[in-house]
Parts: sequence; structure tokens; C-alpha cells
Amino acid sequence: MGAVVRTEGLTKTYGKARGIEDVDLGVEEGEVFGFLGPNGAGKTTAIRTLLGFMRPTAGRAEVLGWDVWRQSVEVRASVGNLPTEFTLEDRMTGEQLIRFFARLRGVESLDHAYELAGRLGADLERPMRRLSRGNKQKIGLIQAMFHRPPLLVLDEPTGGLDPLVQEEFLGIIREVREEGRTVFFSSHNLPEVERICDRVGIIREGKLVAVETTDALVNKSFRHMSLIFARPVDPEPFECLGGVEGLRRDGQELSFRLHGDLDEVVKLAAGHRVVDLRYERPSLEEIFLAYYGGEERGEAS
Amino acid sequence: MSTGQTEPRTRRTREKPRGTLAALTLHTLRLQRRSVLIWGSVLGAFSLLALVAFPAFQDQPQINELVESYPPELRELFGIGSGTDLTTIEGFLQSQVFAFIAPLALSFFPILAAAGAIAGAEERGTLDVLLGNPVPRWQLVAASSAATAVSLLGILAVLWLLTWVPAVLLDIDLAPGTAAGAVLNLWPLCLFFGGLAMLCSAVFHRRVLAVAIPGAVLVAMYFVDSLGSLVEAFESVQPLSVFYHYGSAIEDGIDPASFAGVSGAAVVLVALAALVFSRRDIYT
Repeated sequence: MGAVVRTEGLTKTYGKARGIEDVDLGVEEGEVFGFLGPNGAGKTTAIRTLLGFMRPTAGRAEVLGWDVWRQSVEVRASVGNLPTEFTLEDRMTGEQLIRFFARLRGVESLDHAYELAGRLGADLERPMRRLSRGNKQKIGLIQAMFHRPPLLVLDEPTGGLDPLVQEEFLGIIREVREEGRTVFFSSHNLPEVERICDRVGIIREGKLVAVETTDALVNKSFRHMSLIFARPVDPEPFECLGGVEGLRRDGQELSFRLHGDLDEVVKLAAGHRVVDLRYERPSLEEIFLAYYGGEERGEAS
Repeated sequence: MSTGQTEPRTRRTREKPRGTLAALTLHTLRLQRRSVLIWGSVLGAFSLLALVAFPAFQDQPQINELVESYPPELRELFGIGSGTDLTTIEGFLQSQVFAFIAPLALSFFPILAAAGAIAGAEERGTLDVLLGNPVPRWQLVAASSAATAVSLLGILAVLWLLTWVPAVLLDIDLAPGTAAGAVLNLWPLCLFFGGLAMLCSAVFHRRVLAVAIPGAVLVAMYFVDSLGSLVEAFESVQPLSVFYHYGSAIEDGIDPASFAGVSGAAVVLVALAALVFSRRDIYT
């Protein structure tokens, strides 16, 4: 397995405005890599730099061993790209567009395009101006995937798709991974990222603040914990434990976020009669918000 | 950066495809098909109106005396140079169609096409998907310019048809070669402004600037040439105007040197546009 995407100190600024700063990133072959961050964090700037749309201000980036600026045609020959905001020629039908893109890529068979259209329920016969946003998004996905590229770069790919089509799309992404191809996946839909991505990178204010496997990111983070006792207990000893945050008492129930070791909490609770216990991992969304709220700044840096 | 960590490219990357320039050119031509018919028909209709009106002028030599009495600045501005004989079909069409309306109006076809090819596509969001394909940026400029040049020839062919055929039907003595020379002489002039618009489209990220700047240059060059022989201040800069090299092909035939020179200037502008576009960022 080798790196499909590799950046070192990648920086892109627009005059005095921030884009991305000193980004070191490696995406391995055969993985689905989630790229997370709110609007303006630098996700799209990073993607556009990787595709050679923008020249790096500093640092270097390679995709499949090609320099993203000097060899951007070679990069784009091997990448299927879905931009976050795009428009397709109004007067052309989906089939006409896909045929045109196939000519640009030297692809002769459109069999996979028809297969994808069938699975996503895309209408290839109507001109773009008569398609809804969701149906245009399907054509966008097909043009990114029909040539079976070694690397797929998808920026907010499920925007506008209904839940059933989203499910089908995630199934297609799993198949892409099983074929050993790589997916660079930017999304706001965190449950979706949690389901599909092997690793996740979080970008904040232009800087890559964390790269973890999705499981590790979730596992090393805090837990939601609820303890229900037979009778009300004094919360103070629990509050004094290291790693307990946001403790609330509601009758016989104590609930809090636990950042530290579970052992001390269990031992302290064992001094009382425990009726029920809930110990839940947070959603990726909560972890993401924690990064942005600065609660895990120590881990992030 | 170490490339030792990456696998050999040949195992998983794709070769650059061939034939992208032709595919892009054909794609642009296809998108311009309808415009060719519309532009050709509108200009042709204007030429047709002039032909229908001509019989009323051809037997009245005093019309030349009347026009000669106008202020020369006014005559030049409307493309009626001294010596233009309005009682001949060549002089009449030159003054009514080919000196003023046709070059000023038709130049906006390549201006609009070039402005839409880069800055317009960038604003609309079509450029991201198109350049997501393995297309060198210079090819986008070259293909768009080549397709526009061919489409312009299509418009000129329609204009020629709607000029010569009605002349035959109205029994007006207009040689097909003379009409062809008149319409073909528009080609390099219009391409020059298309090339300028392509350069503006490559430099700026806004379509409005890629239309407005060449449009303003077009009008300025027309004034400089029209008034150059009458206003001393414009005399020295008159050769810088492409209208100075345009002449009157319907009366004097095409000047090959001017035709080649203006065409060459258009090619230089397109080459500059390709160079600039290859080096700049593309925004959303």
C-alpha cells in the first residue's frame, strides 16, 4: 500500500486572506478518507489545490506521485472529481455530457455510467435545465465515477440526494474501496462520514488539527455516562474525579461526560446501589464540535 | 518530498488521453450552433433591408451631393468615406452594412464567446467540472478560440447567402466574389476583438470585464479611425486601430497584408490568454 495523496507544508493564501496553512497529509491507497471542517475552514481550498486549480503558495503536494501543479493533467487523468458547487451545461442531457467527458478521458465504454445511472436513479435523457438539484447531483456523481478512477475526490457528494439514494451511493463507495481504489471524501454529514470513512482529517482555520482512524477518533474521545442509583447520591465526589465534566443530577440519576479513566468512576459508584448504567460513545458530530469548541485542544495540537 | 513511499505510477495511474483538443473544439462548436444561425440571420436581414432599399438610391446621383454636404466628421462616423458612391451597390452596402453596423455588431459574437469560455464558465461553475477532466488549460483557450473562429465563418456564410441571393433575386448586379470579399474581411477584425476578450477572460475572473473592456476598445478604435483623418490628435494613433487596416473590401477587395496582420494579432492575443490562464488560480 502506498500514499495516493501526500502533502508537505502545503499552504495556499489569497493575498492576506487565509486558505490553508502548513498542511501535512497522507492518504493511503484503498482507504476512504473523510475530510471534515465547517464552511471556510479550508476544505475546498485544499481540494482545489490538490486538483491543480490553484497554485500552492508554499509546500508541496503529490497525487499518485504526480506534482499537483506542474503535472495537474496527469493528476486529473487519474482522479474523478465532484466539486462542491458545480453547474452542467444547461442544454445538454446527462448522456451527452457523459459522452463528452468520455471522449476527453479516452473512455470507450459507457457501460459503467449506465450501471451507475440505474443504481442512482439518474435521468440521462433530459437536459440539465429540466433537472432538480438532486438529479443534477446524480449526473455529477456519475461523471466523477464512470471511468473508474484510482482516486475519487468528492466534495459534499450527498447534497440534495434523498435518503434511499444516499444509501445506494454509500454502497457504491464501499465497492470502490473493495476494489482497492481510494476515496477522498469531504462532507458535512458526519454520521455518513462515521459510517463510511476509514480515517478522518479535521481542518480548522486552514490547519489540519487531527488525523485519526474514525474508530480511534471516536474511541479516544469522551463518553456519555449515566448512573442511576437506588436513592439520590451526593454528586460532589464524582465531580472531584479527574475527567468528569458537565455533571448533572436528576433525582437518582447522575449524568456527565467522562474524559478520563472509567475505573475510578466504577469504584466510586460501587459504594452505592447502582440500578442502571449507560456508557455511550459520542457521535462523530459531537467530537467534531468538541474540536471546534476547543474542548480537545490539547489532543488536537 | 520523497517519492519512495509511493508505488510506481504505471501501476495505478492513467495515461494522458489524446484527442482532447478536437473533442473540446467540437463540443464548443456544438454549443455555438444556434448562435451561428441567429447572428447570421439578424445581420443577413439587415443586409437584405439595405438591398431592398438600394433601387431607390441607384438612379439618384444627387444623393452623393447631398451626403457630401454633411460635415465630414458625421460622414466618417457612419462609414461614408469621401469618394464612396452610394449609387453603386458596393458603395451602398459598404456604407449601410460593412463599414459600421456589421463590424461593430459582429465583433460582439467572439467577445461574448471568449468572455464566457473562461471567466463566464468560472462564474457559472461549469469550469470546475470541465477542468476536472485531463484537459490542459491552453487547450481550453485554443479550442474555444478555434471553434469561435469557425462559427464566425458560419455566420459570415449565412450573411453572404442573405446578401448575394437576394441581390440576384432583385436583379442587382453584385458579383458573388465581391460579396464574399466583403463578408470575409470582417473575420480578422472580429477575431482580433475575440482575442482581446479571451485575454481579458484569462486575466480577470469576471465575465463583465471580459465583455466591457474589449467593447470599450472596439468603440474607441472605431472613433480613432473614423476621425483620424480629420482630427489631428488622432492622426498619429490611427494605424493602431484595427479599423484602419479594415478598409473597404467590397469596393477595393481584401488587402492580404492587413488581413494577415490583423489575424496574426488575434493569434498573439489568444496565445497570451493561454499563457496567462495556465498560470493563474481558478476560483469558484
